[in-house]
Amino acid sequence: MATAAIEANGLVKRYGDVTAVAGIDLTVAAHSIYALVGPNGAGKTTTINMLTTLTPPTAGHVRVAGYDVQRQARQVRQCIGVTFQDIVLDGDLTGRQVLDIHGKLYRMSRQERKRRITELVQLVQLEDVLDRCVKTYSGGMKRRLELARGLLTNPQVLFLDEPTQGLDPQNRVGIWNYIRHLNREHGLTLLLTTHYMEEAEMLAHTVGIIDRGLLVVEGKPADLVATLGANVIRIHGQGDRRHFIQQLGNLPFVDRVQVDEQDSVVQVYVDNGNRRLVEIVQAASGNGFRVEEIAVAQPGLSDVFLRYTGHALRD
Amino acid sequence: MYATYVIWSKHMTKFFHSTEEALGLALQSVLWVVLFGVGMRGIVTQVEGRDYLTFILPGIIALSALAGSVGGGIMLLDERLRGITREYLVSPIPRLSILLGNAASTSTKALLQALLMLVIGMLMGVRLTGNPLGWLMALLLVALFTLGFSGLALAVASVSRSIMGYHGMIFLLNLPLLFASNALYPLDVLPAWMRTLVLFNPTTYLIDAVRSLAFGAQPSLVLTNSIAIVTVFAAIGMWLALSAFRRSIRS
Ligand SMILES: Nc1ncnc2c1ncn2[C@@H]1O[C@H](COP(=O)(O)OP(=O)(O)OP(=O)(O)O)[C@@H](O)[C@H]1O
Ligand SMILES: [Mg+2]
Repeated sequence: MATAAIEANGLVKRYGDVTAVAGIDLTVAAHSIYALVGPNGAGKTTTINMLTTLTPPTAGHVRVAGYDVQRQARQVRQCIGVTFQDIVLDGDLTGRQVLDIHGKLYRMSRQERKRRITELVQLVQLEDVLDRCVKTYSGGMKRRLELARGLLTNPQVLFLDEPTQGLDPQNRVGIWNYIRHLNREHGLTLLLTTHYMEEAEMLAHTVGIIDRGLLVVEGKPADLVATLGANVIRIHGQGDRRHFIQQLGNLPFVDRVQVDEQDSVVQVYVDNGNRRLVEIVQAASGNGFRVEEIAVAQPGLSDVFLRYTGHALRD
Repeated sequence: MYATYVIWSKHMTKFFHSTEEALGLALQSVLWVVLFGVGMRGIVTQVEGRDYLTFILPGIIALSALAGSVGGGIMLLDERLRGITREYLVSPIPRLSILLGNAASTSTKALLQALLMLVIGMLMGVRLTGNPLGWLMALLLVALFTLGFSGLALAVASVSRSIMGYHGMIFLLNLPLLFASNALYPLDVLPAWMRTLVLFNPTTYLIDAVRSLAFGAQPSLVLTNSIAIVTVFAAIGMWLALSAFRRSIRS
């Protein structure tokens, strides 16, 4: 395999009148972590379904691990691992049975299954409950069992659809650590989706922001943030906002002004936040706009999201 | 096919794990035979010169195979609605093995049930033929018949959107399959139009063959034809299931 573990061109999925994915080009380098970030209904799951051979695309081509997803589905399936957004486990089986059956479906030998199960169960810390019925597990335990199942067959590419959804902070950090460990130690390629910006920022080498079925921007987290300017000043206030924004735009040190309509926050990207604070407050006074709250911050990926989609990402 | 075996063994593991299901199935078998046997004996003593229980037993076995197949369909529908089928679908196994694994486990349960019913029947005085090969053939036919009807049930389960919808459609299939057959009454007492109808029903062939193979009755139909028809029914059922299932996952 040369460089790309996943290569998608012009990927489209329509369900009747609904366009779930509107034309996505996506390249994920081998041995890297790629995070698809987007709000509810952006098309993340649909994209994953097409990459994992579950759903045939309406248009476009995908290669995973060098195999064509439609014509060589079986080879693709052989070398991927998948965990789904919702928990997909048979509650009447024990954790061990779930893993064992999964290994059998991939024709792993008995010793191989035994060895991998012991290894992985340690990694996800489920030793104590492995022989209990899955329906007695907590949500976090189920997630970790699913992660172990996705990893059992030593996939080249692992797809995780919102792996930390519904987990407490401790479990979330735990999963982040496994993901990083797997990537660093085993060179595993990972594609994950999330609506948490911090998650993408913490984990991914490359982040793709997806909104309304389109990949609006893609890049290294640091690079994306760097395009925004050094600092962002966030302003809450009352009054003639439009005029105020116009005023701000005319100031020489202002890179860009962005408004999040839902939160009525004005975001001003500047070269140096602390030094410009006073000048910005001055620009407001006498222009019919009263500043109620103002703060200087480092821009993050959430600001990148706002910048490229025009609205904030909400969990 | 190894994957079929894996899925079959998964269903069987779940079956034996769940005492309610296994016990329920056993009790059902006992109840059917005992209630039918004792109750009907009061009104009908002999059919075609044979004990009524002997006459009805193949029918009861077919009935329980039908009920078992309905349950197999529910299993698939439940796995579909809960998204569990996706685990199979992203793994490198043939799609057919998902259905065959399900149908094979249903057939296995139907066979266990048939065996139990035969034993209870014998305790109640039913006489089998002296030919064990005949019994084996009869059981094999029961298994094939169950595959066929499982296929129909799985096809319906592949397209249903809810358990209620599934039951509605299955009921329409189930009822004529049982009553428009020779399960409860001999062929020659039926009026001509009903006889024609009954001859379109694979259940009729199963029952006629089982009666002659396991119980030594004089077959009313040509035995080799009956065997062929039950086999073809199994193939058609599974084919229907596969095409419906394929269609349902291609969205
Ligand atoms: N089977 C389907 N039939 C019709 N519409 C669908 C189907 N699956 C998805 N959609 C639509 O496609 C769009 C994208 O859905 P998708 O599940 O890919 O979003 P998502 O980014 O995963 O969202 P979430 O964060 O809520 O999981 C939505 O508008 C959804 O309603
Ligand atoms: Mg989703």
